[in-house]
Amino acid sequence: MLRFEKREKISVQLRILIPVISILLGMLVGGVAVMFSHINPFKVYKALFIGAFGSSYVFSETIVVAIPLILISVGLVLVFKMNFWNIGAYGQYIIGAIFGTYFALNSPETMSRPALLTIMCIAGIVGGALWALIPAALKAYWEVNEVITTLLLNYIALYILKFLMYGPWRNPRSFGFPLTKTFDLNAQLPKLISHTRIHLGLIFGIIAAIIIWIIIEKTRFGYEIRVIGENKNAARYAGINIGKKVMIAMLISGGLAGLAGLSQVSGVIHMLQIQINPDYGYTAIIVSWLSGLNSLVALIISVFLGGLSAGASQIQITMKVPIGIVGLIESSILFFLLGGAIITNYKLYYKGRKII
Amino acid sequence: MPDTYSIIIALSVMTVESGTMLLFPVIGEIFTERSGILNLGIEGMMIIGALAGFAAAYTTDKVYLAFFIGMLAGGLASLIHAFITITLRGNQVVSGLSLTIFGLGVTNFYGQRFVNLQLSHTVPEVIIPGLSRIPFFGPVFFKQDYIVYMSYILVIITWFILFKTKAGIHLRAVGQNAKAADAMGINVYKVRYFLTFFGGLMAGAGGAYLTLNCAPFWLDSITAGRGWIAIALVIFAMWNPIYALIGAYLFGGINALQFQLQSMGTTIPSSLLNMQPYLLTFILIIVATLLVKTKHIGVPKELGIPYAREEK
Repeated sequence: MLRFEKREKISVQLRILIPVISILLGMLVGGVAVMFSHINPFKVYKALFIGAFGSSYVFSETIVVAIPLILISVGLVLVFKMNFWNIGAYGQYIIGAIFGTYFALNSPETMSRPALLTIMCIAGIVGGALWALIPAALKAYWEVNEVITTLLLNYIALYILKFLMYGPWRNPRSFGFPLTKTFDLNAQLPKLISHTRIHLGLIFGIIAAIIIWIIIEKTRFGYEIRVIGENKNAARYAGINIGKKVMIAMLISGGLAGLAGLSQVSGVIHMLQIQINPDYGYTAIIVSWLSGLNSLVALIISVFLGGLSAGASQIQITMKVPIGIVGLIESSILFFLLGGAIITNYKLYYKGRKII
Repeated sequence: MPDTYSIIIALSVMTVESGTMLLFPVIGEIFTERSGILNLGIEGMMIIGALAGFAAAYTTDKVYLAFFIGMLAGGLASLIHAFITITLRGNQVVSGLSLTIFGLGVTNFYGQRFVNLQLSHTVPEVIIPGLSRIPFFGPVFFKQDYIVYMSYILVIITWFILFKTKAGIHLRAVGQNAKAADAMGINVYKVRYFLTFFGGLMAGAGGAYLTLNCAPFWLDSITAGRGWIAIALVIFAMWNPIYALIGAYLFGGINALQFQLQSMGTTIPSSLLNMQPYLLTFILIIVATLLVKTKHIGVPKELGIPYAREEK
């Protein structure tokens, strides 16, 4: 019935059209789901849009969500390019936040703000990178499945955070709540725009996106990564040390996730607590996949999905639409995108007649 | 203060219960992966089964009906993955992840009205005459419920089918070398569809058993990563249903132990106790990988590779 024939050339139009259609269809699924709950989908989407992009303040909140998404997703682009499935940004984010917080709480008060913030950022990067190195090394040396190890490390990281917050790191003056003390101003990432919560992390994200793009497109390392992703055996014959490349790419990816966690804690929350939004680590997977593994496109997609998140938290309060709608829409978009990939790669015939 | 023997019995009973919840999904995924399809959506299918089962039990008060509804819900969810990865040859890793995000989202969305509700009763205990009198083994394995008994039978039947029947050879062939299997006249697509669906049914069953028996209430994200542990246990089990039983009970044991320690008021922080199952699975997966590597057993060679039949 259905028959596929490989396309010789992948057209640019399809490359853009398929993600756009996927997004629209994904939102259609979300709309139908909302209708089943007897809520008017048009009202929901209108409120969601206004909640995400409707005023300069809500748009700034969208950007605040987009910052960690950018930092994490551009790192994921790098590792996904080589078909290494880092699902562990969630954990790398948490460990980065923990490492950075250590210096926020334990540095001498005389230390200057730039010095302290530099140390915290480096600590965040190192924390995330080390946490990412565990599954990378296990894969490189023993071929341990990275999907499972990165995921399990997420739960382990979460319980480490819980242990610290209910134990040694809890502020004795927090009335029993699992919070550290509020960071001194010296340990807070500076705001970029006053009266908003947009912080220096945005600059980190944009720089990271550009650097990752340069690495992939313009360097030998990037070329090797692409070869590994396209054909492992060819890479091996070409003498590429796959394990080593995996570890380097994971150090970068994990480091960026760690920096994202540190930025969130230092730039937005201003303390360590249990809820520091590590779920961005999962959303970023969707961002990088939607971007077609292009770190510059990931910048735009981050703002789009950041808006979806920010808008959804608005309609959760105002219209009582459960936050699960975000996951529902995001996963539907992904399903359409994954299914739609066949149209970019193959010509489709139905009963002998070409459809597309 | 209860004596040591009864504590051990209580622990073992709980081990079997929380092991059973994992045993179903592990067996399901073993078959899905044996056919060459990697489905990382277990967590999503489990939680869909958990909510469907809970909702059905809460509204009808019929636990067995609810169990089958949960199972079916997991099966239906798996068809999304089947269509995308088998028919449309989409990326299996991302599709499975997406299924998990879908499951967590959809259950959060439709589960709101059930949050914090409790079931009036769980799956009833059925004592097997005779067998239940065996010291230790009797009370642990034969004072359970029909669903647990079903899991024993499932292990034996699936092991038998996989290794002792022609159907088992065929389905393993599909995962080892789809092209050769096709040449033998096996319908690769059909086998993969069916076994992905079976994996979904089993994940749904595990999820339903969770909310119908182990934790008879509804909370957001109630599966708490058990689907991922199930995927890890598939490797630990080396794609063999008998070892799956051992793996699931081992995990169930750790789970029961940390639970027991907490209820006895230990001074060990609960965060560290809750971490143990994940840490144990993490270590197990490394050991299992090294074992599989040296012995070269079990791993379906074409796991994750879509099959594109060449047209004549």
